[in-house]
Amino acid sequence: MKKRAWLPRAVAGGVTLVLGLTLAACGGGSGSSNGSGTFHVLVYGDASNKVEKQIVDTFNKTSKVKAVMDTIPGADYQQKLQTIINTKQAPDVFFNWGGGSIQPFVKANLLMPLDGFIAKDPALKSDFLPSVFNGAVVDGKSYGIPMRGTQPVLLFNNQKVLKDAGITPPQTWDDLIADVKVLKSKGITPIALGGGDKWPTQMWYEYLYDRVAGPGLFEKALSGDKSAWNSADSRKALSMLKQLVDAGAFGSNYDSVKYTDGGSVALVATGKAGFELMGSWYYSQQQQDHPDFAKNGLGYSAFPAVAGGKGDPNDVVGNTNNYYSVLKKTKYPDAVAQFLKLMYSDEFVKAQLAIGNLPTTTNTPQFLSTSANPAYSQYQYDLVKKAPSFQLSWDQAYPPAAMTQIYTAVQEFVDGKENADGFIKAMQALPTA
Amino acid sequence: MTTTIPRVARRRTTSRSTGRSGAAVIRPSFAWAVPATLFFVLFAVLPLVLVAVLSFTSWDGISSPEFVGVDNWKALIHDHTMIQSLWLSVVITVLGVVVQTPLSILLGVWAAGKQRNRAVLSAVYFVPLLLSATAVSVLWRALLDPNFGVPAQAKWLFGDGNLLGMQKSAIGVLVFVGAWQYTPFHTLIYQGATRAIPQVLYQAAAIDGAGTVRQFFHITLPQLRNTMITSMILMVVGGLTTFDTVLILTQGGPGTDTTISAYYMYQRAFKSFDFGGGSAIALVLVLVATIISLIVVRVSGYDKMRSTSEGL
Repeated sequence: MKKRAWLPRAVAGGVTLVLGLTLAACGGGSGSSNGSGTFHVLVYGDASNKVEKQIVDTFNKTSKVKAVMDTIPGADYQQKLQTIINTKQAPDVFFNWGGGSIQPFVKANLLMPLDGFIAKDPALKSDFLPSVFNGAVVDGKSYGIPMRGTQPVLLFNNQKVLKDAGITPPQTWDDLIADVKVLKSKGITPIALGGGDKWPTQMWYEYLYDRVAGPGLFEKALSGDKSAWNSADSRKALSMLKQLVDAGAFGSNYDSVKYTDGGSVALVATGKAGFELMGSWYYSQQQQDHPDFAKNGLGYSAFPAVAGGKGDPNDVVGNTNNYYSVLKKTKYPDAVAQFLKLMYSDEFVKAQLAIGNLPTTTNTPQFLSTSANPAYSQYQYDLVKKAPSFQLSWDQAYPPAAMTQIYTAVQEFVDGKENADGFIKAMQALPTA
Repeated sequence: MTTTIPRVARRRTTSRSTGRSGAAVIRPSFAWAVPATLFFVLFAVLPLVLVAVLSFTSWDGISSPEFVGVDNWKALIHDHTMIQSLWLSVVITVLGVVVQTPLSILLGVWAAGKQRNRAVLSAVYFVPLLLSATAVSVLWRALLDPNFGVPAQAKWLFGDGNLLGMQKSAIGVLVFVGAWQYTPFHTLIYQGATRAIPQVLYQAAAIDGAGTVRQFFHITLPQLRNTMITSMILMVVGGLTTFDTVLILTQGGPGTDTTISAYYMYQRAFKSFDFGGGSAIALVLVLVATIISLIVVRVSGYDKMRSTSEGL
């Protein structure tokens, strides 16, 4: 009997051993790979990686400590980052959106304030547009160096639709309401909205709140003063948005339309809609989906001014830029500082412009003519440069924990499922860092 | 490994022939169950226990989990999204069962026949099951686009095409897409079960003068009873854990109108980085699914496993 049982036991034992080893291997991983004179740079994986790779290569040509670039594909970036950032596998330098996206890490005491680097090389701050650089300042300390292009939100239009209807891009809110009525009477959806994605809806709130109340209201709310949402200005912005929705500006089926699957993009390109409020990446999206329209029919303008509003009509909202932040635990702070200096180099600016991104360094203007679309780049650069305030998108200004609640609130108010009181209550319930 | 099985078997016969008593000797050693048990413990029991522990903590995935007692659970009770999400899960599950069961029984019984076109049509009909749920959702999302999809061409039926922008129609779309994908699977189960029904029953019924319809209601359906319960339990479990279709088609919207429990769990844990709250929802989901399965098993008498071929 003893003899008979040896094989099954051996098999079982073997399986246990193998399993144990595999699991142990999972835990161990590549933790030690930071040792031999390299630091890791983690970037959001997409088409722009070409430039990041080029900059890393340039850096490695002269530096003894080498940079290694890792990427995480788009949609999962924030989740993956969150799970590795406090482990041995954490990178030394990582891509982020500034604002709320790094706030939890600052709170957890994981990030290195870059003020020391800036003291040694003031250009790390002074060579960037202030409104953009400030996007990664938390509690008065700088935590990020801009490392891609800026993406302000613009009001895009179909020039032919506007011309046929005899209207021009609106300068004021009243113009916009008038335009909406004209387009609606012609059976055209006045404004395309990818409500299914929720964040495009949020852009209307961001701009209206800024125009009506100025950037202060949101800053106040973000810093924890929940009464800001209940102010008269807040209610005024909401009632104006309601007025726009009730005027039929977005049609009735916008919640079934998405931007991300090309639905709202096609609405404007095919002339079924007149306007769309979207980030500056809209241009390259149209170029990809509807090249002829992007070339000949796509117009753009700034968000209209609101009469009597406290916000400067030159204010913009959107994604200020992406940033590189540095972890405290890095073994090579000096090498990292050298690496960050490349973010305002001529090579960086030219490479970004070549792929359609708009860098926010002070030396950008001299290279604008080399961009894929000089007029468009120049327009955006001027817009951002003269903007007294550049409001980071709400979902990124708040900590990630607030995102789904913001999306639900903006959607339910526009749909009429919640009234102003409901929206205010929802926004007051958001976690603020 | 290959030599062991015959060896054990041979041993069994010899021990029986020599008249040695005791089933314990005959039964293969417990060691055989170790690999499966180990897998189960590692990948099912252990995570479940960890989730239970996490549900009593506050954890954002960065710092270490902080013990907060029953805070997450207290918050859940007062969370109207949670209560609504459970209700939505039940609605979508029930609708799924109601829509898919009759369809798959009819199709399965038909596919079990001997018609000439049967094999070809069954094969075609089986295709949706081979696609990933995500791909299917992306496909239907495009087909149902209000401006460029089917609704734009059939305004008499779809109105302004705001299918995913209103709660009722959004739930309808989710149920429809689920049924489109999973009916073939249940059809397959019913097809197999129908084939296993003894022909003598039909022959006897035919002699007694029962037509096709009567045969279906008095022979086929009662004979499929156990299969129906198997298929329904699979539908219930599948319905309660529906996730991919919601993620792609509605993202829980409009507002929170289609935020079912499984999606809400994902949102809390991986979008809002509230792993404690997410774990609590996960446990609720485990409890609800277990209770519903138990009820189905009890009510249906499945646990007693009465044979459908008594007297044959």
